[in-house]
Amino acid sequence: MSGDLVFVSFQVNGEETSFHVSSEEMLIDVLRERVGITGTKLSCDVGACGACTVLLNGKPAASCNTFAWQAANGDVKTVEGLAGANGELDPVQAAFIEHSSFQCGYCTPGMIMLARALLDYNLSPARNEIREWMGANICRCTGYEMIIDAVEDAARREREISDE
Amino acid sequence: MNETSPALSVVGADLPRTDSVPKTTGAAVYTVDVSFPGMLHAKVLRSPHAHARVVSVDASAARGMPGIHAVLTRDELDGLSPVYGYFIKDQPIIGMDKVRYVGDPVAAVAAETEHQAIAALEKIKVEYDLLPVLANIEDAMAKGAAELFEEEPLGIIPAYGQGASGHRRIGPNNCYRFSYETGNASSAFNKCDHVFEDRFVFSRDQHFHLEPFVSVARYEGDVIEVWSSCQNPFPLRKELARVFRHPENRIRVKVPYIGAGYGAKNNCKAEPLAILLAKLSGRPVRFCMTMEENFLTQCQHAAVLEIKSGVMDDGTFVARSGHILLNAGAYSDASPLVAEKAGYRLPGPYRWQHLDIDCDCILTNTTPAGPYRGFGGTQACWASESQVDIIARALERDPMDLRIQNLKSLGEAYVPGESGLDSDLSAGMSLVAGKIGYNGRKSGEGRGMGLSIGFKDAGGVNKPAQARVRITTNGGIYLQCGTVEIGQGVHTALSQIVAELLNAPLDRVSYPALDTDYTPFDQGTNASSAIVVMAKAVEEAALQAKMKVLNFAADQLECSIDDIQLDDWSIRKGNQSYPLPFMIMRYYGGTGYEFTGEGFYKVKMDHSAPLETQCVSWEFGWGAAEVEVDTETGLVQLKQLVVSGDAGRAINPRVCRGQDEGSAVMGLTGALFPCMVYDEAVLINGNGLDYRVPRSTDLNDGFISILQEQGHGPGPYGAKSVGEGCILPVASAIANAIEDAIGVRIRELPMTPERVLAAIDASR
Repeated sequence: MSGDLVFVSFQVNGEETSFHVSSEEMLIDVLRERVGITGTKLSCDVGACGACTVLLNGKPAASCNTFAWQAANGDVKTVEGLAGANGELDPVQAAFIEHSSFQCGYCTPGMIMLARALLDYNLSPARNEIREWMGANICRCTGYEMIIDAVEDAARREREISDE
Repeated sequence: MNETSPALSVVGADLPRTDSVPKTTGAAVYTVDVSFPGMLHAKVLRSPHAHARVVSVDASAARGMPGIHAVLTRDELDGLSPVYGYFIKDQPIIGMDKVRYVGDPVAAVAAETEHQAIAALEKIKVEYDLLPVLANIEDAMAKGAAELFEEEPLGIIPAYGQGASGHRRIGPNNCYRFSYETGNASSAFNKCDHVFEDRFVFSRDQHFHLEPFVSVARYEGDVIEVWSSCQNPFPLRKELARVFRHPENRIRVKVPYIGAGYGAKNNCKAEPLAILLAKLSGRPVRFCMTMEENFLTQCQHAAVLEIKSGVMDDGTFVARSGHILLNAGAYSDASPLVAEKAGYRLPGPYRWQHLDIDCDCILTNTTPAGPYRGFGGTQACWASESQVDIIARALERDPMDLRIQNLKSLGEAYVPGESGLDSDLSAGMSLVAGKIGYNGRKSGEGRGMGLSIGFKDAGGVNKPAQARVRITTNGGIYLQCGTVEIGQGVHTALSQIVAELLNAPLDRVSYPALDTDYTPFDQGTNASSAIVVMAKAVEEAALQAKMKVLNFAADQLECSIDDIQLDDWSIRKGNQSYPLPFMIMRYYGGTGYEFTGEGFYKVKMDHSAPLETQCVSWEFGWGAAEVEVDTETGLVQLKQLVVSGDAGRAINPRVCRGQDEGSAVMGLTGALFPCMVYDEAVLINGNGLDYRVPRSTDLNDGFISILQEQGHGPGPYGAKSVGEGCILPVASAIANAIEDAIGVRIRELPMTPERVLAAIDASR
């Protein structure tokens, strides 16, 4: 690989990490090959399908289309970082399980991160808003309705928790 | 279910899938995640030409490049049988004398990084001698057309029974013909009051599985180990043994979770090159294709379907003939099998007395077409169900009434020698028609509704299945069988059946990952066969293991097995409960024991059945669509789409719903999306940015699935398959709705605005 090496530090799921990365190295490659967490999946490699979605500073980002240096001093969250320290699943993960909102599971980490970002931003999305937001990512298995069901239900659960 | 049966506790429950936690936490391991120290990365040089003789391949400059450990060209094939295929062995693992499509592999390298591999490919010089390009079916069938294969490749024609036959090379670039005939269609047409002749065109979708074709291979001594995203690992092992002239028991195929396939992940894909590069380099090699390469590796069959139907004044269907041309792409692949299914399914579930159908596979210089969900049924249903509406309109009959008049009844044989249909077709149609509001609809002025019934045989042909159930001392249950978890939820469904039979909670059942060294042989995860074929072997294995446990316990308790019951992992005898672990260790010793049950299932051979075994089950997908058509722009808006499958008895209803809905949305791709667009023989949208598959925003809340449980399936508890039914009716239901809306018949897919507008213009 060519390109100048850049020293970058960022948080991955709450842990400080730093690497010498090449200027053309992608965030997904750093996560999968250097950090060694493979939950984030590569598919189209052009930022179109969303399978590789992670949260960068709280916003969804296609990690196949994000240079590693763009994460410098930032906060990266992947599907591995969603569950609580005691293993308790995030409400979005729990809802995906409850509603059987996945089949092959390859798009699922990206879908879950995308949904997480929506609920962090809007805890009361209308069904058509969920449909619009989730339209950023492709699932070829489910036909989407059961994914939308899960996101709707996760939002409801989180509202109930925040009301308590 | 009869009244004395105990209530089911695990089967029929919407339990969370057994792969829930790994797939929602990122822990699930796919072949893309498999890695070894020292592993190399493979990249392939592909032909830029659609049809050319390979004059020379000079890879010398690539060999000394940084990080390169192996370079593979046609000069490295000594000692191999480097050509593969299902029935016809015509596809080389690397370009030999010719290349036959844009994307045909001509050289490969293995390097320490993918970047090094790509850099080395640029140094390989290939000299081509260009040949005439056969971009489509018409070009390939033209008189005097160049032949993709000047000589007939090795191959076989499978055995067929009553009325069916197969033929090879009956015309230019025609690699296979399937024929089916019953009665005498040509003379019957003369006695019909009306004869309808229509021509339909079907485009080709690409599977667009998000996990690419990917394999990791290494040599452990003389054992070839392959991790692969493959849905048919045992047939793959057999094909690799032939290609590498290597004993089958020294090839070990392992299948982690699969990031979907929809039919694509059959037979050799990334495996042969990964193995050969591993052999040449002495290192583990990973060959992971890009999405662009997926498009250059496998796709659906485009088709031209000519269909002729004779009916009486009163609407009675009498005779149907058909000639289907499938675009097979550059190699035969699964085309002969797809031809068999497209041809056999063309009649649809109606009471034709005379049938005469041919289906030809035409080789062209394009991406090889192969298995794709629906497997020829999608093409057949597009033509068949479109024409049923054409007939109804000509006879001034409601399309639903005409269907009901001619549909076969529950239990009626499909054709002579075949098994009976195992769903009530009218019931399913009434259901979707009722849900969408078909009766009493307002047609015309741009808005309309259409119906369609998808139909296919399910369960595969002559398919043997084996399963093993092992129960440990402490009641841990292993379910071992060769059906791979490709997303369909089969681990969950088969585990639920085992849990139910063994009176155990679902979490006591585990489903070890497939490894051809340990897993009982299976023909593959295909043809919607798991719940009607494999599940029967699983059921037998579970019951056999249970009987062994009960016999053992009865011996220990010195009673009859009629006096005891298996209750979770204890034996209940009257009011007493006896934990099994103590009983087992008392007899077998403290290290314990495992009870093992074996199961087997196969439909018997039957030459009176057209496909040599009667079909195990029949799969249906009922569809109803409502559209709004803008006659100024040709844009078709889907207002409602109601689909329904019959699961017989749903083992896990939510998993079944996912199959119906996912299948229907795949069907939407072929109906309304651009599909694979070729400029002559060059695919111009074969990448993630340009290729459009449905997104959530392409649907609305008018998309609904209804799961039927009619109870007539041959699987355990009356189960039937649901994996492929609902893809089948979508395109024809939409075309029928368009005609209902604007009085214009669309005969060519996809129904893009341009094509709809052209049809509107042509009708004026």
